[in-house]
Amino acid sequence: MRKLLFSFSFALLAAGTPFSLPLQAQEVPTITITKGDTIALALAPISGPDGAQISKLVEKHLNASGYFNIVPDSRASMIVSGSASGSQLQGSVNDRSGSVVLSRSYSGSTAARASAYANDIIETLTGNRGMAGSKVAFVATRTGKKEIYLADYDGANLKQLTHDNTISVAPALSSDGRKLAYTSYLHGYADIYLIDLVSGARNRIVKFPGTNSGAAFSPDGSRIACTVSRDGNPELYLLNTNGSGARRLTRTAGVESSPAWSPDGSELVYASDDRGGPRIFRVSASGGTPRMISTGHNYCTKPSWSADGRRIAFNVRNSSGFSIAVHDLATGSTKVLASGRDPIWGPSPRHLIYSSDGNLMLLDVQTGRQTRLISGLGQITEPAWTR
Amino acid sequence: MLRIQQTLRSLLTLALALSLAACASSKNKGGEYAGVDDGDFITGSPLPDRLDGVSFLDGSVDKSQFSPVYFAFDSYVVEPGESRKLDAVADFLRNSNKEIIIAGFTDERGTAEYNRGLGEKRAQAVRSHLLSLGVSGQRVHTTSFGAEMPADPGYGEAAWAKNRRAEFGVIR
Repeated sequence: MRKLLFSFSFALLAAGTPFSLPLQAQEVPTITITKGDTIALALAPISGPDGAQISKLVEKHLNASGYFNIVPDSRASMIVSGSASGSQLQGSVNDRSGSVVLSRSYSGSTAARASAYANDIIETLTGNRGMAGSKVAFVATRTGKKEIYLADYDGANLKQLTHDNTISVAPALSSDGRKLAYTSYLHGYADIYLIDLVSGARNRIVKFPGTNSGAAFSPDGSRIACTVSRDGNPELYLLNTNGSGARRLTRTAGVESSPAWSPDGSELVYASDDRGGPRIFRVSASGGTPRMISTGHNYCTKPSWSADGRRIAFNVRNSSGFSIAVHDLATGSTKVLASGRDPIWGPSPRHLIYSSDGNLMLLDVQTGRQTRLISGLGQITEPAWTR
Repeated sequence: MLRIQQTLRSLLTLALALSLAACASSKNKGGEYAGVDDGDFITGSPLPDRLDGVSFLDGSVDKSQFSPVYFAFDSYVVEPGESRKLDAVADFLRNSNKEIIIAGFTDERGTAEYNRGLGEKRAQAVRSHLLSLGVSGQRVHTTSFGAEMPADPGYGEAAWAKNRRAEFGVIR
């Protein structure tokens, strides 16, 4: 797909609401957006029986992406249109001269067509992947117990997945959203369970002596990384998703936790307190010597590797509580972006989902804009996100 | 010359580590799963297989026999003042055929998943201490609940200090 880059001067004039930085951010991010970075889009009504509904969903996804300003036709640099019939959607994006920038047909449910079209618009116009159609899983205490919940990335289609009435935590989603792994104390110990979200089948896949927790799916969904303590110390392990083929990855006297895969599956990042307080390390998935990532912070946990491979988000703890930090692997710089916990990247290279004050939040790392996605479920913690 | 000394020292350390590992693997042969890959037990003693139907969360263990061991923030070091409690536990285990589960806990500060690892490390640090007192590793299980089930649900150091602990459950 051709990558189009825009910096229209008239988009500058068209920008309605300038982005503001969150008040609670501990440091002001130095990545700042200029109004010219957004693309002025007009949304022509989509014809057909569910056209209006598709239009509404496409607009919601485009707004959430942060790349666009939705403006009247006269001020738009791009015009999005479409026609729906039955389970089909023909989508077209044209520039001001009328040239076709994107023209594609989609099939499926109303929501599926809207998501696919929105993602194509985002990817065609920015070169980056969109979030439409992605799913989140998280822990919430609504029932008085920690259970696992599922929702769309924007908070829609919320559903309680587990009803175990014990401690259910640390959910992970496979990239395709078909499998969920989590830690449950159903047998009195932390064990890792795998749920096939299509069939509903559940299996206890990691049940070694001691504690088994913190599963993370490899990008191809064939393996999980997790913490296993059977050797007399919490270490990182890799296993097949049926629990076979356990292979130990680390050998330290400290605590290893929260492995996360690089987008190509060749490496992992994780937290280890082998050198004092917990720090972020990276190690090859085939083994070898781990390397510490220098972040300038003393308590760093729960890393997540961005889908474009360029950044690591993680937790920082200091005297005022927990913050979300992002480390740029190329430049080595680390920025604290918001207060909150357990950041996780999804498909988009500019958005993190995290928890703050019991709410599920979306952070646009480019603008600092924070959006509350889900609240009112007791304490929401430990989000996971499909890629 | 210095380099040769360093090399010699590393060789000696390696030999010592290897002999310790061999010793550990013969003395504390783990369960079905323990150390199946490569027998590298230098950083810990493998855990015994779990007992079917035994859970720290139900009545299958007696949690009333021993006082919890407490820890400093983000630490799994058994403090000298706490180690006396372990003499009693070791004494009990050496004079009975009971098995125990040590459950590690943390305070609410800290990342949930890291706390699960830290709680497990606390349980295992206590287990190592018991092993050093002559208790068989085959009779000491571990589990971790991280920041779940605080002993004191309050906010502040007084509560947190009570929550950074390892508890003992004697399997009935």
